[in-house]
Amino acid sequence: MTKEKEKTFEEKLKELETIVNELESGEIDLDSSIEKYTSAMRLVKECDEKLKNVEEQVNKIVTENGTLENFEVE
Amino acid sequence: MDNKYLSVSAITRYLKAKFDSDDNLRVVFLKGEISNIKYHTTGHIYFSLKDETSKINAIMFASSAKKLLFKPIDGSKVLVTGRISVYEATGGYQIYVDEMLEDGIGNLYIAFEELKKKLSKEGLFDAKYKKQIPKIPNRVGVVTAPTGAAIKDIMSTIKRRFPICEVILFPSLVQGESAKEDIVKNIKLAENYDLDVLIVGRGGGSIEDLWPFNEEIVARAIFECNIPVISAVGHEIDFTIADYVADMRAPTPTGAAEMAVPNMSDLISLISNLKIRLNEAINKNVNYQKLLLDSIKGSYALKNPLIMYESKKQKLDMLLDNLNKTLLKKYDNSLHKLEIVKKSFILNNPTLLYKEKMTKLDSLIEKLELINPLGVLKRGYSLTYKDDKVLKDIKSVNTGDTLLIKLYDGEINTKVKSVKENKND
Repeated sequence: MTKEKEKTFEEKLKELETIVNELESGEIDLDSSIEKYTSAMRLVKECDEKLKNVEEQVNKIVTENGTLENFEVE
Repeated sequence: MDNKYLSVSAITRYLKAKFDSDDNLRVVFLKGEISNIKYHTTGHIYFSLKDETSKINAIMFASSAKKLLFKPIDGSKVLVTGRISVYEATGGYQIYVDEMLEDGIGNLYIAFEELKKKLSKEGLFDAKYKKQIPKIPNRVGVVTAPTGAAIKDIMSTIKRRFPICEVILFPSLVQGESAKEDIVKNIKLAENYDLDVLIVGRGGGSIEDLWPFNEEIVARAIFECNIPVISAVGHEIDFTIADYVADMRAPTPTGAAEMAVPNMSDLISLISNLKIRLNEAINKNVNYQKLLLDSIKGSYALKNPLIMYESKKQKLDMLLDNLNKTLLKKYDNSLHKLEIVKKSFILNNPTLLYKEKMTKLDSLIEKLELINPLGVLKRGYSLTYKDDKVLKDIKSVNTGDTLLIKLYDGEINTKVKSVKENKND
């Protein structure tokens, strides 16, 4: 699990917010603002996809022997 | 022999005196259940205390009753402190209650306050230890009972708000004697499941039901847990030690679920909002740069490049002008001076300069004339030369010599006929 982990959704969202704020401040030159815009749009796409494409998760319960089983609330 | 019969009041007074003189009855601690409670308009409370087999009347005067921390009702199990004496009017003995606490709960309350104080002193509630609850978790753990309202509320709330989040339940006892150990065991177990946040709690219940969440070992397990913990015990009004030590306190299990996961639609609109802001920002940026470029392109200097020389040229012209003016002025000055000189008297009358000298010269000439030997000739004298030498005496002249005689206006060439010397010396 030590291999480079993909950024979490929250990290991506935070990065996106940072870029938007930076761009809105208008203190970035044109070249890097286009660069930042491009990466921000990529983040938007990734976040959108994550939200829209990930399947609903099934609730789990930890059993006596520590394994996970599906769990339905009655 | 009526003497042996006592009056009712006498025996009552006697009994009262007996009660009042008994130290054991002066301060009495009683526990029991309230029945027949009556709140009098004066503020006094009349009631009975009973247990399975016995009953005692009780009165709590308004002065004591107003210090009550709860409202006793029929069935309330209470702990009372007071004295027992006889009420003469009815001849009944009763307990005059000074203090009354809820049984069990009262003790629990004391234990709660003590533990809270202790853990607070140790720093377990300090803000610096509070972990940030992640905004968007992938996996949420729940330590609670597998049945009942709490888990149902949590799971349905998460499903409704953020269905892509995985929920893992760690089924636990949440009330009764062994609940605390079970809760602790599950909190520790949860650390092995790569959770982003852990909800620990249960639904509403009596204070005894909620008690496991006021246990020290539970508090410490929550404190030591390496996952951010949201406590969710009972209802809004219920505060437990777990609430103080948790990284965040939720008023209810549903509230905990709402804190643990974001609302999917909020998130989608947040992202689309960010997208809009992003596009607006980049457009604004590009437009601004464009405008800037346009304004530079349209600048007077770039449109009229000569303008850059214009000012220099102007300066040059001015310098030239100045130079001309200066030269002209100098020329004028000189001219003027010349004119003045030209107009000077002396130049206009140059003879004046030498007239004087001329006069002088004339007089000198005259003087010269006077000493000029030739002048003498004018007056009739002559000069005789022999061999270009002026003759001054007769001795050098011989007969036959050719002599030259110079007169005023000419010369005579002659030959000597005879020479005669004067004899008078």
